[in-house]
Amino acid sequence: MDHKKPHLLIGLLALVIPGAGHILQGRKQQGVAILAGVPALIGLGLWQQTPLVFVGAAAVWLWSVWDIYRSLNEKPSGTVLPFLAGMMAVYAAAVAATDFQPAKLISGFSSIKPVLSALAKPDILAYPTQDKIGAAPVMVPCIDPLPRPDVQGSRRTVILTDSACAAVGETIRIKGVGFIPNFEGELWWRNPISALQRLTKNGRPQSFKTDEKGEFTADIKIPLAVPLNAMPAPGRTQTHQIEARQHKPYGSLQPTETLRLVVAKMGETLALAFLATVLATIFAIPIGFLAARNLMGGNKITLAVYYLTRTVLNIIRSIETLIWAIIFGVWVGLGPFAGTLALLFHSIAALGKLYSEAVESVDPRPVEAVRATGANPFQVVIFGVIPQITATFLSFTLYRWDINVRMATVIGLVCDAGIGFLVIQWIRLGSYNAMATTIIAITLVIAVLDYGSAVVRKRIIEGIPVGRGKKFSRRAMRAAGAICFVVLFIASWRAADINLDAFVRDAGNGVRLARELLTPEILDRPTELRSTDAELWTPAKSCSSKNAATTGVGPRIRLSQSCADVGDALTITGEELPPQSRVYIRWLFPDGGELRVKENCCDTDADGRVRLSTRVHPLADSKNYNGRPVRVSIQWHEAVGGLKLSPAVIKTGELALITLLMALLATTLGSLIAIPVSFLAARNIVGAGPLGSALYYATRTVFNLWRSIEPMILALIFATWVGLGPFAGILALTLNNIPNLGKLFSEAIEEIDMGQVEALTATGANRLQVIRYAVVPQLIPKFTAFILYQWDINIRMSTVIGFVGGGGIGQQWRVWVQLNQYAAAAVATWAIVAMVWIMDYASSKMRVKLV
Amino acid sequence: MLTVEKLTKVFPGGTAALKDVSFSIRQGEFMAVIGLSGSGKSTLLRCINRLINPTSGRILWDNTDVTAAKGAELRRIRRHIGMIFQQFNLVKQSSVSTNVLSGRLGYVNPWLSLCGYFPAEDRARALRALEHVGIPEKIQERADMLSGGQQQRVAIARALMQEPQLILADEPVASLDPVLAHSIMQYLEELNRKDGITILCSLHFLDLVHRYATRVIGLKAGEVVFEGLPGELTRERFKEVYGEEAEMATLGKPLD
Repeated sequence: MDHKKPHLLIGLLALVIPGAGHILQGRKQQGVAILAGVPALIGLGLWQQTPLVFVGAAAVWLWSVWDIYRSLNEKPSGTVLPFLAGMMAVYAAAVAATDFQPAKLISGFSSIKPVLSALAKPDILAYPTQDKIGAAPVMVPCIDPLPRPDVQGSRRTVILTDSACAAVGETIRIKGVGFIPNFEGELWWRNPISALQRLTKNGRPQSFKTDEKGEFTADIKIPLAVPLNAMPAPGRTQTHQIEARQHKPYGSLQPTETLRLVVAKMGETLALAFLATVLATIFAIPIGFLAARNLMGGNKITLAVYYLTRTVLNIIRSIETLIWAIIFGVWVGLGPFAGTLALLFHSIAALGKLYSEAVESVDPRPVEAVRATGANPFQVVIFGVIPQITATFLSFTLYRWDINVRMATVIGLVCDAGIGFLVIQWIRLGSYNAMATTIIAITLVIAVLDYGSAVVRKRIIEGIPVGRGKKFSRRAMRAAGAICFVVLFIASWRAADINLDAFVRDAGNGVRLARELLTPEILDRPTELRSTDAELWTPAKSCSSKNAATTGVGPRIRLSQSCADVGDALTITGEELPPQSRVYIRWLFPDGGELRVKENCCDTDADGRVRLSTRVHPLADSKNYNGRPVRVSIQWHEAVGGLKLSPAVIKTGELALITLLMALLATTLGSLIAIPVSFLAARNIVGAGPLGSALYYATRTVFNLWRSIEPMILALIFATWVGLGPFAGILALTLNNIPNLGKLFSEAIEEIDMGQVEALTATGANRLQVIRYAVVPQLIPKFTAFILYQWDINIRMSTVIGFVGGGGIGQQWRVWVQLNQYAAAAVATWAIVAMVWIMDYASSKMRVKLV
Repeated sequence: MLTVEKLTKVFPGGTAALKDVSFSIRQGEFMAVIGLSGSGKSTLLRCINRLINPTSGRILWDNTDVTAAKGAELRRIRRHIGMIFQQFNLVKQSSVSTNVLSGRLGYVNPWLSLCGYFPAEDRARALRALEHVGIPEKIQERADMLSGGQQQRVAIARALMQEPQLILADEPVASLDPVLAHSIMQYLEELNRKDGITILCSLHFLDLVHRYATRVIGLKAGEVVFEGLPGELTRERFKEVYGEEAEMATLGKPLD
């Protein structure tokens, strides 16, 4: 390194261009990091308007100048401080960009309280009830004359009111007759569109208690039961209904309707996962061979097949199952079939990759040995390759089944398939007890399955046979297993609502969708809406001229006649419009209303001409508008200015950045909490005493149960708690990361080499020094690798967590798909693919370097 | 200098690793401890610096009772007793210099050391220690980049940083090939002869015992079955200590 270059020049350069000084001194890595980092930080600061980000950027910049000065005196300083300053700036931007406001956890607590308390009271068993419901109509408000109410109560159980009508806020007295004697009941109010609400008195739900004759009286204050803009016009009234309800339990506890639904939908969920896994395995096995380099590396054609297969697998894999569920929902309609297709599609790609890696890691020596016996290529594969890969394939398939069950439980959050649908339905209906039951069921099933499949996978890899009986019984077990499999498969096929007809018939949807997704809207010409219109008078005799037209040159509209009767034929012609483009032809009514003349209309021809024959619309009658004419208009988008990046690209860019920052914050928070907790779950830390063991098992159990709660469900809960947006997503990911990282961390702690601890204890170091010098150095690389890995996963998850209100790119993606803006959705899709790929690559590179 | 009186160690499982072991070492001795695997050699060495707490008995170090020492006093005793291990026990992810410097942890300001700061004189001392064992050029490398023999030299350098009066060596050469084994033993011998550091070393090979030790004790199932000069350790006595496999040992091969 030559530090003797002109000092002033290097110093000045470092001051003007951050990092230039370091590059000139030959410290290229640091120089490039500063050169890229400082402008990036300034960009973040400008984006979020956060002063702290600028402070961080300035600190790094000033440090770089200071470092140059120091290095001229042969004393370069450490890089810890500028790194911390840079990170502080990034976090400040992340906090601002993701709307990170912990105070919302407290202010929003009231909205989550019913959900949390419902979790403690799941809706599993209940007594059957004898129900008595009586109702009476009430007109709100009173008018004269009062029309007859259009509802009637039941005959034997009735409510009598002292007034047939009342205004909002007034009190009426009711009397109930024919109810269950000496029993309590609830009072409800049903509005004209049949929405029920509980009547309240002094802010508390209103109840009644009958006497021995089954009668009661109560005073009722008329509630505001319809929105203000739906209140009846002056001189009109609406029929509401008072309901008194009694539910008297009898007999023994029965499973509730909720429980039955949960069990049925859970069956469907498992069926979807089972079917998708079985089918995916069948498809993935040949693909796995096609994507194995050691088999396909022979010549150029097979190598091309290999690369093609790999690329397609990677693209499919990096798009989350939930995104596929929505895409297939557009294709074949939302439902179990779309869910199955999504699971299947993603599973084929994931299994194909795992299988191909298993094939690639086949030991060539046994293969060589089989070949040496003179076996033909088929025999070589059967005796040399297959025995090596069966166990691995099986274990991967089981692992995938595990993942598919998890995915199938949340796929219902976006389409009507599996148990997730119940969760989202019940949270919207506010049936928190039912929702809690579902969430608990999902968590338990996943926890049990996780445990079971881990045990089975271990046995497969270690080669322990499942049945240990005699030959006959093993054969019988195999036959029974095969029959079970077939029965399960058929049942699952039915449950999944497989409809190959729809798949083929609606292939057009799929093709169009694929075409749109393959042509993202990257560049865009900004447009303005232009229009031209003509008047149309009714009735026909109101004017004499037969033709009406806007005259002159340029875009214009011409009607076949300017006066017509309702129902007359009318031809609308447009001229000199932009050629071959979409125009919209509308009725414009004098009261401000608009109506398309025809749906999906129209496109101009090559000369910019358009022609539409229709009839005069009944609403176009001038009588309705005090004789004023209606107008017919042609509207079109006209390009102004040059090509620009489309709004979709700009929005996607911003959201992609927010998604990355969400993942960063969630990973950081998750790690910060998981690190101390993980020590409690490490055997060698808590010791083998009774207290230690209790602590160890408690922490481990909590980790395992907690891990079974899907992040999507957490996001749903947090969206209720703190409102929709990235903050809810961050909280969900953080909560999901704590047990995942905690488990990995505690395993790393258990693997500490105690020899190193012993050696430093022997030098007379105290406990803190031993931790600092013998424990921390061992943990840092492993922890960092796990954290990077988790960040990777978080980015994948944060692309879909927005579907249920967790913010980030997923939320916008779903909106675009729902609005049929596929070209914009395509931009977001490719951004997701790119983001996942880049992070995958970067984090695997960094992990290799660390460990 | 070091007196061990009726030392007994019973592990929680009920295994008696040491039974009434008594002996003493004088300043400047090179004492070898021999015995089969599981005879209690490692336990004995670890009891002396209290990495393992003995069940009963006493250890006197310059008239201080090691067995009664606690906390800061125990750490003060430990810092004068260097220890080297069969598996070297370097912190593999740290640099050689950090590993060597960590031998000073008992001396330096504990709070500064937590920040990774060591005084300049200690840094100079670390370089000298590495020069002493012949690998000063490795100072900036990560410990796991070094070969086994080099790692053990770093471990010796770490022990030297403690300015030890006694070095406990727990099978220091059992993981090394014979040529490297001799070079490591020669370093220990040099420390013993030139610097007057007392050495208590458990060994597996009879030829190494004859070549380096000035006195030998033999352990069998936790009891002392031999104590004397290396020359007194005849084939017959050796067989008493080791049992039938002794033939192999005399040929310079490991016993287990």
